[in-house]
Amino acid sequence: MSEDHTIKGGKTSAVNRRQFVRTMAGVTAGVGALSFSGSAPFHFVRGAYAQDAIGNFPVNGSTVVYGFNVPQTGSYADEGEDELRAYKLAVRHLNEGGGMLETLQPSALKGNGVLGKKVEFVTGDTQTNPDAARASARRMIERDGVIMFSGGSSSAVAIAQQYLAQEKGIIFMAGLTHSNDTTGKDRRRYGFRHFFNAYMSGQALGPILAKEYGQDRRAYHLTADYTWGHTQYESMKDSTEKQGWTTVNNIMTPLGTTDYSQFLTAVLNSDADVLVLNHYGQDMVNSLTQAVRFGMRDRQVNGKQMEVVVPLYSRLMAQGAGSENIQGIFGTTNWGPSLDDAGSQAFVKTFEAEYGQPPSQAAHTAYVQTILYSNAAETAGTFYPPEVIKALEDFECTGVGPGKTLYRGCDHQAFHDILVVRGKAPDQKKNEFDLLETVEQIPGESVKYDCDMMPGELGPYEPTA
Amino acid sequence: MIAQLRNASPRREAVFMAVAAVILIALPWIMPYIGGYRELATRILIWGIFALGFDILVGFTGYLSFGHAAFWGIGAYCSGYYLLHANANALVAILIGVAVATAVAILLGYLTLRRHGIYFAILTLAFAEMFYYAALAPLQDWTGGDNGLTGIRTPELFGVKLDGDEMHYFVAAWTLLAIYFARRIARSPFGLMLRAIKSNETRLQSTGVNVYRYKVTAFAISGLYAGLAGTLYALYETYVPTESLHWTTSGEVVIMSVIGGFGTLIGPMIGAGIVLYLENVLSASTEQWLLIQGLIFMFFVIFLPGGVMEGLQRLADWGRKRHESATEAEARGAAPKGASAPTAPLRQRSQKG
Repeated sequence: MSEDHTIKGGKTSAVNRRQFVRTMAGVTAGVGALSFSGSAPFHFVRGAYAQDAIGNFPVNGSTVVYGFNVPQTGSYADEGEDELRAYKLAVRHLNEGGGMLETLQPSALKGNGVLGKKVEFVTGDTQTNPDAARASARRMIERDGVIMFSGGSSSAVAIAQQYLAQEKGIIFMAGLTHSNDTTGKDRRRYGFRHFFNAYMSGQALGPILAKEYGQDRRAYHLTADYTWGHTQYESMKDSTEKQGWTTVNNIMTPLGTTDYSQFLTAVLNSDADVLVLNHYGQDMVNSLTQAVRFGMRDRQVNGKQMEVVVPLYSRLMAQGAGSENIQGIFGTTNWGPSLDDAGSQAFVKTFEAEYGQPPSQAAHTAYVQTILYSNAAETAGTFYPPEVIKALEDFECTGVGPGKTLYRGCDHQAFHDILVVRGKAPDQKKNEFDLLETVEQIPGESVKYDCDMMPGELGPYEPTA
Repeated sequence: MIAQLRNASPRREAVFMAVAAVILIALPWIMPYIGGYRELATRILIWGIFALGFDILVGFTGYLSFGHAAFWGIGAYCSGYYLLHANANALVAILIGVAVATAVAILLGYLTLRRHGIYFAILTLAFAEMFYYAALAPLQDWTGGDNGLTGIRTPELFGVKLDGDEMHYFVAAWTLLAIYFARRIARSPFGLMLRAIKSNETRLQSTGVNVYRYKVTAFAISGLYAGLAGTLYALYETYVPTESLHWTTSGEVVIMSVIGGFGTLIGPMIGAGIVLYLENVLSASTEQWLLIQGLIFMFFVIFLPGGVMEGLQRLADWGRKRHESATEAEARGAAPKGASAPTAPLRQRSQKG
């Protein structure tokens, strides 16, 4: 009895183990076969490491998620809202075709999603605060599993997210950020900037200012006291002095100053005949309107008409300051909705049809960033970040704006035509968005500089953390 | 609450700490079920330490500081600076950050605690803003200006990289330590002195107690906690934004404390959890999250000034009363009616103190 029992028991357990092993082998083989058939093209074509998990790669399922992290509260909420409109439009074009998909050359995009996966997106609020932006990005990366994130309207926020991107192995396509540092000393392998920068603004503006106002001008700078302001001041000083101008003085004004009278008084007491306002957003709105109220624009100094210059313009700032204050004032923008090249028009038309208003430059850069990332993934044939980065580096294309657009590999800065603009007079504008007129379209080639001019390290293709 | 704390036996304390440990460690696994994500749990614990230390000052002595961002930020910058330029040793980085933050807290305490109420609040605010502007412009070669302190390496503890889950365990250990010491302080004669300051400072002074020294010590301890939280924040983010010194950071910890309940130690930590949850989860689903946060804050100030902890207390009292009246109804006649009465007034008295 007892012997029988033992044998029976032993037999049962042996059969169980054998069954288990057999089943598991079958499952493993099945899964293996499935995964081979699914990923074989990437696996064999794209190097031996193509299946390493980095960030949220590999992307499973039939959808891929992008994260759009824009200011939804705070002083740049309007810019964030416009960026978000553009992102939504870009996602629709990626999934259904249309817009710049028809103008981008060379393009691998088919209008059926990216790599056959439908594009979905999540949004977040940066509050124009680096800490909040990073927290929001972490949520997108960890909870929502985004493969790429984009957005922002401040250099500090962009730089903060870029470092997080490098750490997490998720590509960050920067939105509105103009500081030299973003692709200068703080450049990152996982961060890309389509927007132009302070140096390019200076290079574009200098010759035109000299042509309009003469070469023996004396400039007084008021500069917002943070890194963007500093880089903008350095760039303007450099480019105007090349044209023969003299820099009388520069005052650093605290960020968020509301009363500029003490600084403007100092300008009035000097012999400067040009006032350069290296301010952005609300700072610019305040300093410019107060400068006009101080009579800066009616002043005669050294026998010349006093002039005001605002190196970086945005539609939001122009609206805030008002046409009566900005009319005739020079500045630069990355892009404008009046450009008539095929890419810009494809974007403007679809944007206006969807939202009933023209897009801002922030919207344009947001849209282009999404399209260029997607195209790079499609070209690389994988979402594997190092391969997508390599596809973006030194990628040259047309059809996303005027002329050629080049994503330089050594610092991840895009070069394309930029605009020198002038504020329109109140009676010239056709609607509330029509505030700036293009004076000259500056070719990307002529504002190019050496990568080594702003030293920085991109870091590795594969994140270390 | 405080009476309970004073009477807690070592055994009950051990049970409390064990439960706390389980919750702190399990938090990252709970998060995904309520719409959060794992790293949010670490963030909540770090802010929890900050709120806990803040409660030792405000909840106990009644001195409302609006300048604790200074200690949080200084802690963060110092440890971040160490990691950036020296090596990846997490413990040394924390030690340096906490030491400097505490030293600054002692100094600021000496300067600001001579004033009461609104004057004290404004003084602390002014000092903190001085640090903020110093970090933003004159010291930007060291602090990175508004770009923040970037490129900090991942900290290490005995060769283990502190990242993701490891970082959470590391922070959880510090949080446990922080809770333990805060409860020890609350139970100690020193803690009693602090509460005496809150109830009537002049009376305490007239009995010959050097109140000023007690206040400075309380201020320094809360500065130490804020500094510790700040260093952990720098380690967790491997980045320090100038906003860490901004007054909004001080304001945030006040909001957390109000929502959680001043003077309860655990309350502000719960408040930190609620505020960060709203900020990071709600903001993903609606643009109007600030409005909702504002409404919740107003609800607590108007209807539950004692915060979540008062709510829980009321709920418990209500439950007990129901239970008692049910028992009374059952045993009517058998027991004298006011048998359970003494507990209620006792609790009320202890709550006031």
